[in-house]
Amino acid sequence: MRHAPTMLVLAFLFLLPVLVLILQAGAPGWRYPELWPELGLDGVRFLATRPGPFLTALTGSLGYSLATVVLTLSMTILPAKALAYSSFRGKTLLEGLLLLPALVPAMTFSMGLHFIFIKIGLADTAPGVILVLSMISYPYMLRALTTGYTLMGREYEICARNLGASKWRVFLEVELPQLLPAMAAGGSVVFLVAFSEYFLVFLIGGGSVASFTGYLFPLITSSNRGLGALVTLVFLAVPIALFIVLELGLYRYHRKRRMR
Amino acid sequence: MRRNVILGLAPLLLPYCALFCAGLTLTLAQSMGLFLPLGPGEATLEYYQALTRDQGLGLSLRLSLFVAFFSAAGSVLGGTVLALALWRMPPGLRRVGVVSKIGLILPHVAVAFLVLLMLSQTGLVSSALFQLGLISTPEEFPNILHTGSGLGMILAFLLKGVPFALLLIGAVLFGFDIRLIQTARMLGAGPLRTFWSVTLPRLLPAMHSAFIILFLYAFGSFDIPFVLGESHPGMLSIRVFDIFFHRDLSQRPQAMAILTVMFVFAAVFAMLYNRFAAYMDAWRRKL
Repeated sequence: MRHAPTMLVLAFLFLLPVLVLILQAGAPGWRYPELWPELGLDGVRFLATRPGPFLTALTGSLGYSLATVVLTLSMTILPAKALAYSSFRGKTLLEGLLLLPALVPAMTFSMGLHFIFIKIGLADTAPGVILVLSMISYPYMLRALTTGYTLMGREYEICARNLGASKWRVFLEVELPQLLPAMAAGGSVVFLVAFSEYFLVFLIGGGSVASFTGYLFPLITSSNRGLGALVTLVFLAVPIALFIVLELGLYRYHRKRRMR
Repeated sequence: MRRNVILGLAPLLLPYCALFCAGLTLTLAQSMGLFLPLGPGEATLEYYQALTRDQGLGLSLRLSLFVAFFSAAGSVLGGTVLALALWRMPPGLRRVGVVSKIGLILPHVAVAFLVLLMLSQTGLVSSALFQLGLISTPEEFPNILHTGSGLGMILAFLLKGVPFALLLIGAVLFGFDIRLIQTARMLGAGPLRTFWSVTLPRLLPAMHSAFIILFLYAFGSFDIPFVLGESHPGMLSIRVFDIFFHRDLSQRPQAMAILTVMFVFAAVFAMLYNRFAAYMDAWRRKL
């Protein structure tokens, strides 16, 4: 097996941590210096008897992350087209500036924005959290959509317009189906960025917006490592499940269209 | 035409100005003593002068740069090596690379938690060494996490950064035209020469992007340093957080001044790095 070393490295880097998490989740009392834990289901039982805060946190995170995906999509779908198809003076500079929110430390603008949000009543609210998360994540959507438009080219649009389709019809029936993969790619990244952000949700949400990271944080810094590991595993499982649903959905959609 | 472009860009430019630019402006204004929660004051640069006198700040800056550089460079190197190794596999087998997505999905907080589980003095590695008889108390295990060395943070960033670099570099590499390599080999280039003159130049843009993104992310990130809890000297972000939340309001401009400096650094770094990469690229082509 000449590829065995690569596989070993991959397993060591990415599968071992999951294994450790599973063992830790099954053994809250796993302590130094035991190497093999005594497994039990205390953590699962704990979550099952008091699922309230856990579920609130999970639905809260899912809610604002999906809302962020929708918002970034609606913010970037037209600009991506403009950036892909037109050239104007200062375009490179503008593109650079539009990438900045994902590059510079999020703290730099969010701390100032927090003050504004307090003044206009958006601090400690879910819309405020969604707005600030959209700011740090839209560049990924913009990049994906711009590439999508560039790869698609204008010919289909011009052709459909020539045949008399309205702008809306062209968008819905010509562009949208071809852009779906780009949207899915951009949306996945935006979702992950929003779902795993701790600091901004804590700053802008101020504790009144329930989040999964906020739920996880005290668990892992306290001594309740078993529960922390269990929650981390759910953290891993939820996005994976969503991505599988997304892949299957796209696959089915394309198959249906092809059959039509 | 012009109007169309502006209209097309408006849905993005409006929130960009209203949130990003406004947030930055307020950070800048507060760093100069304006628009503070205690009321509007007079513009002053004294908080920036105070920064230059702050001894601990220099240490924080050094730690931030150190952690950012080594985590980004290590991630790009690891990601490139893994991408090349996967690339040599038959395409069917290459799918095992999908496990690296685990590193992308796990939030930074969780990755830091993993580092705690493995490497703290009572962690798993320490337990294993105890069972092997190499150490007899937890204190004998080297204190990796709380010495201010930044090593624990670098490891956590690597776990997130390697799969990210692998994703960017793999995207270029797996779509690579194999005939270029075959031609080079037919013309008598050795494997090293082929890599150096054919493969690597095509990977460089992706490697540069990965480096710049990971470097700036680690430089300004909060989640991992906060969990791994090193505070003497803390990363810059932790310092800002401490001033912002744990001291009185009169010190807030100082936190905002640090943030302004961090923003300028990040923006200038991104610009200069891009220039530099483009220059090096042009220079290579001339050769």
